Amino acid sequence: MDIAQLQAYGYFALTVFLVIGLYGYIYHLYSKRKNSDGVDYEEYSNMALHDDIDDTPVASISDDKKK
Amino acid sequence: MENRPLEYDYTVTKMFMFTTIALGIVGMLIGVILAFQLAYPGLNLMLGEGLAEYTNFSRLRPLHTDAVIFGFTLSGIFATWYYVGQRVLKVSMAESKLLMFLGKLHFWLYIITVVAVVISLFAGVTTSKEYAEFEWPIDIAIVVVWVLFGMSIFGLIGIRREKSLYISVWYYIATFLGIAMLYLFNNMEIPTIMASAPDGSHVGGNWWHSISMYAGTNDALVQWWYGHNAVAFGFTVPIVAMIYYFLPKESGQAIYSYKLSLLSFWGLMFLYLWAGGHHLLYSTVPDWMQTMGSIFSVILILPSWGSAINMLLTMKGEWQQVAASPLIKFMILASTFYMFSTLEGPIQAIKSVNAIAHFTDWIVGHVHDGVLGWVGFMIMAALFHMAPRVFKREIYSKSLMTSQFWIQTLGVVLYFTSMWIAGITQGMMWRAHDEFGNLAYSFIDTVTVLHPYYTIRGVGGLLYLVGFFMFAYNIYKTMSARPVEESELQSASPMGA
Amino acid sequence: MFHWLEKHPFFFSVGVFLVIAFAGLVEILPSFAQASRPVIGTKPYSILETTGRQIYIKNSCNACHSQLIRPFKSETDRYGHYSLSGEYAYDRPFLWGSKRTGPDLMRVGNYRTTDWHESHMKDPSGVVPGSVMPAYRWMYSNIADIPTAYAEQLTNAQFFSVPYNEPIPMKDGTTEVVKMANNVTDAHAMALAEAKEIAVDMKDQNVKDAVARGEIPEIVALIAYLNSLK
Repeated sequence: MDIAQLQAYGYFALTVFLVIGLYGYIYHLYSKRKNSDGVDYEEYSNMALHDDIDDTPVASISDDKKK
Repeated sequence: MENRPLEYDYTVTKMFMFTTIALGIVGMLIGVILAFQLAYPGLNLMLGEGLAEYTNFSRLRPLHTDAVIFGFTLSGIFATWYYVGQRVLKVSMAESKLLMFLGKLHFWLYIITVVAVVISLFAGVTTSKEYAEFEWPIDIAIVVVWVLFGMSIFGLIGIRREKSLYISVWYYIATFLGIAMLYLFNNMEIPTIMASAPDGSHVGGNWWHSISMYAGTNDALVQWWYGHNAVAFGFTVPIVAMIYYFLPKESGQAIYSYKLSLLSFWGLMFLYLWAGGHHLLYSTVPDWMQTMGSIFSVILILPSWGSAINMLLTMKGEWQQVAASPLIKFMILASTFYMFSTLEGPIQAIKSVNAIAHFTDWIVGHVHDGVLGWVGFMIMAALFHMAPRVFKREIYSKSLMTSQFWIQTLGVVLYFTSMWIAGITQGMMWRAHDEFGNLAYSFIDTVTVLHPYYTIRGVGGLLYLVGFFMFAYNIYKTMSARPVEESELQSASPMGA
Repeated sequence: MFHWLEKHPFFFSVGVFLVIAFAGLVEILPSFAQASRPVIGTKPYSILETTGRQIYIKNSCNACHSQLIRPFKSETDRYGHYSLSGEYAYDRPFLWGSKRTGPDLMRVGNYRTTDWHESHMKDPSGVVPGSVMPAYRWMYSNIADIPTAYAEQLTNAQFFSVPYNEPIPMKDGTTEVVKMANNVTDAHAMALAEAKEIAVDMKDQNVKDAVARGEIPEIVALIAYLNSLK
């Protein structure tokens, strides 16, 4: 098998993989309002809106450590 | 001092805000000079015959592009990173002495590199590759500057309080990775001092000179893979990062659809890199790559418009702010120009259109409606938004801002309309044949016909430059304007009359 | 899975990198396996032509002039045969350009002479009324840098196996040899020999005198390069 053939098969396989990945991602985003941490995706906008240093983070790193 | 509450530290932001403005003036001033040199070639001798070597069009042209890309835009990217990065990760630079040190080192090395670039380009030391003109010693300095930028990004992320990364941070990370990959591969070169004479004697010659690792068609392929995507990761990705932070913050509105912003991100990342081939249509690179370049350029409309529509819809129900605030005006016009140039680009990438448009001023027009309209407006809006927060003072003058907005908008419109007409006129004249099948026009006919459009373009560019001086003055006066309280800085920026 | 990626910046960055590197992996890397092969009749640049090419680059001639003829009737009528990939086999860097403020120069050696270039570079609008090209008068007094050009030739030969001092097949079935010097003194002598052939056709007395003294003004090298573009 020469390099052009490898290139073609590799290209095809990767494209299929990425298409599945993309649609999986769309399904994941729009079927579940909340992610695994129980945070609504749209809540993440608040990271910009409430960004003072003493504002409460949307999901805090320190919450993880407490668990 | 011990009990002072923790605050964001904008020292490095301030430094890069300064270079954004200074290098913006340099880049745009040279641009205006170049524009008028094409309309009035006598200006090539504006400092006399003795300095003609340094003031003529061909020597200044790389300085213009590089000052705007690596001076103005890159400084703007750095300035906003050191501002947005801290805020959305909810961590202050003051919390880490190391990051503070790296940030300052980043700035000063950047300045040294800029000085080296200016000197070398004036001297005609160039590799000829567009937006990668620098010889290998400067390339090494640029890599170091870039690594420091990366250390700052991942350092701040490492000590963050917010667990998830805000969408802007995604885009900054992509900027870092994308440019790193592209720049390294495109600048692979062999310094000529590495060669030795067959009889072992000393060769001499300039130690900084090098030649590309790739030859001919391969070199062109890598260059335009780089050239196109330097636009992607310098002029699109980081500017999207800015607008996703500054527009919601300034308007107090949440992003219309956060999920859409995530989807567009992955779409843009995947698609953009393929489109480089559209710079090489009808050239000697393999046909399938040219076709890929064309097709992917058209598909690229989807993620681009995904972001642009998301930005515009963020203003849903709050459109009165566009009328009320010049700062919102800048950002809304920027995203409108983003939509516009991401539609224009794919049109030019269609093979039959490209046959006319390539090598003409229409391409120059396209670049400028993107850079003046989208990049320039967004970076200026970002600086306007940051200034009151960084200096703790209100913006000096709202009316000056509004006049600047209209003057510059007029400038951009004059620029791209004249270049459209110039480009299409020239493209059509080049290919025109008379009834006997001979070429209808000599080359010089297609140059002299452009004079009026070159003049209009120069005026458009001049208006934009005037607006930029107003911007610089406004920011300068802001540093001594009325001090404001923290509470005034929640969303809409405070502005003086 | 997706959300996990968003919370782990390192793996997130790896993911982003893979997605952006994908196009390059598919498009660019494989074509590098096949090196660019020269077409019959394509020669490496001689020492003076290499010097001239460096002057072309130094003054960003490529900012306004392309070296790429597209396969359209209007272009082949105007500039000659359309470009072939192999013709660029010795071009490091490539000089296709991206804008034609002036005409294409891919085959300018076929239809312009030393004499024409000499007058034109001194006063473009005097030769072509309406031209917006600046004059390049300093090239008539600046002395060309032969050692750097020689170092470039050596680099090409030693790192990229460019066939200097080897027979190269030409279109008419004969072969030609492009010589490369053994040391920088010889290189200068070879460049001067080429320069003398050019200077014969030139009018500028200062240039002629300089060449007679053994110095090579930049303009002579640039014209040597432009004449080689065929």
